[in-house]
Amino acid sequence: MRKDQEYKCNHSIEYVVGCEKSLREIIREDEMMPLLKGAVRAGAAAVKIVDSEGGILWEYVDTLNKGVFSEKLPLHLEGEIAGHIVIKGEKETNLKGLSELLLYTVKIVMNNNLKRMLTAEIHTTVVNQSYEELLETNRRLKISEKKYRELAGSLEKKVQERTEELKMANVKLIQQEKMASIGQLAAGVAHEINNPMGFISSNIGTFRSYAESLVEFINAQSEIIESFNPTDAIEGLKEKRERLKLDYILEDIKELIKESLEGADRVKKIVSGLKGFSHIDEGDKAIIDINEEIERTLHVLTHEIPEDAEIIRDFHSLPGFTCNPAVLCQVFLNIILNSIQARKKGLKFVIRTGCEDEIIRITFSDNGPGIPKEIRNRIFEPFFTTKEIGKGTGMGLTVVYEVIDAYSGSIDVESQPGKGTTFNIVLPLGKNAKIR
Amino acid sequence: MIEYDEIENRMVLKLVYYGPSFSGKTSNLLSLHDILDREGRGDLMVLDTKDDRTIFFDLLPFFLTAPSGLKIKLKVYTVPGQVKHDATRKAVLQRADGVAFIADSQISEETNNFESFKNLENSLTFVGLSIEKIPLVIQFNKGDLHNIISEVDIGRVWKPTGIPIFLASALYGWGIVETFSKLVGLTYDYIDKRYRLKQDHGLDIETFVQKLTCRSEEREQGGNG
Repeated sequence: MRKDQEYKCNHSIEYVVGCEKSLREIIREDEMMPLLKGAVRAGAAAVKIVDSEGGILWEYVDTLNKGVFSEKLPLHLEGEIAGHIVIKGEKETNLKGLSELLLYTVKIVMNNNLKRMLTAEIHTTVVNQSYEELLETNRRLKISEKKYRELAGSLEKKVQERTEELKMANVKLIQQEKMASIGQLAAGVAHEINNPMGFISSNIGTFRSYAESLVEFINAQSEIIESFNPTDAIEGLKEKRERLKLDYILEDIKELIKESLEGADRVKKIVSGLKGFSHIDEGDKAIIDINEEIERTLHVLTHEIPEDAEIIRDFHSLPGFTCNPAVLCQVFLNIILNSIQARKKGLKFVIRTGCEDEIIRITFSDNGPGIPKEIRNRIFEPFFTTKEIGKGTGMGLTVVYEVIDAYSGSIDVESQPGKGTTFNIVLPLGKNAKIR
Repeated sequence: MIEYDEIENRMVLKLVYYGPSFSGKTSNLLSLHDILDREGRGDLMVLDTKDDRTIFFDLLPFFLTAPSGLKIKLKVYTVPGQVKHDATRKAVLQRADGVAFIADSQISEETNNFESFKNLENSLTFVGLSIEKIPLVIQFNKGDLHNIISEVDIGRVWKPTGIPIFLASALYGWGIVETFSKLVGLTYDYIDKRYRLKQDHGLDIETFVQKLTCRSEEREQGGNG
């Protein structure tokens, strides 16, 4: 403990205000000695200051003088007797006055020094403490500065991220708008075609019955004429009939009308397909049969599908799925289009559907070039495209992913470069769909 | 505790008079200096530098010896109350063994009292002491003035803290020794737990308090009687 105190008081600038000090520490040799010399010059034989144990701290002796009398006065330091003043001389009366004078002077020196020391002590402590506090403040400021720097850094990154998101949302919106207007256009076209198609097919139908009547009448005429057997007239008619290729015409009329009706029927189907695809009549939410929707999508894509393409439908009956049909059709359209565009010749496209445990599974497999492994985890990223600049939006599969995700479903891709690609879609039934 | 030296058989204690500025901390020491006996008490050292109030503080030392020979020095300090001298307060408060919080009884000073007390709490924490553990007394000084907080109000606000409260007037010298005696007594209990003053040094609390708070006139009376 003592060592620690000494260290604190003497060797370190760290003080505890109020450290104990010895007389030696308080009064310097060059301050004390003149006082002692002065006392001797004033008539004392020897003067010494001793500590509380009696050990001599300072002493001045006049060797010529031998004192017989002595005086001893206690020296108080902060209420405690820290030592004594011992003075010797030849005259007793002289000694008492001298010793009191000396004691008083030593006390003044001591008190003044103590004050100075205390002042320095507290000053140093305060300065040190203030310095420590400044260091601490500095440290805290540095930490907070670092925090703000990091914040500023991440802010930039966040802004970038948000900008990307906004960009993506914007493109998606444009895509949706586009789809919506295409749907509307299709619906409009369908409606416009529907009207003339109505009377065309009706007229052709009427014409068919007319033609039947005509053919029947002509045939009847021919029979009657033959029964009269007027050879010349028959020959004339025969010649005319051959010249007009009437037999052929009579046969072909049937064929033509049949084909026309079939054609009109096909137009009808296409139109109704377009209507169905755009779901213009159904609003946002409907219970649909996914098999039908896939069929409808394929129908719309009839002209995009290469002639030699083989499309295999492995459909199993599915329960009704509640969704926005237009959005779901877009998913199928995007996947099918990708496969069609990936292989122009010899495309074999397998669509498989099924339902098990309240989960609908849809698989689209092609025998296209496949997706290279290094980009496989990027295909759902917005704006990621392998097509030429300006050809693809890079949004097709992003939309697919978003829609499937919105219905709490999942999509994954299997691909073997050179062999083909398979998309597996899983859609849970039930009410956990996130969008209407 | 400033110092404890087993070999030298010596112990140096520190008490601090804390409080808002002009609440009468120095007046308390001056009053103690006047009232108490010279025996075992040093001179009051007033460090009153005019230009730099940072090092403005007072010191009143006491000295006594236990029957075992253990020398006990007790240094009573005041701190500057001004808000800006926080560093000085913390410096003086280091290793304190007891604190007397000198509050100003005037109604207008109530806020300053609270702020200073809060500051004491913070400063104690800063120097590693706990306001819950350190011997602490509160004195409402300037009780001689008008316009002062009533005793009832003082009790209502401060009693729940469990800290001993004294009403005093340093100017007229009443309540001063009582405050000091209580603080010295609490400090004795605090020190005794660890240093066994009674068991090992034969110094009981009565003697300890009596030696430190002996009034000049008592001694004179005792001497005459």
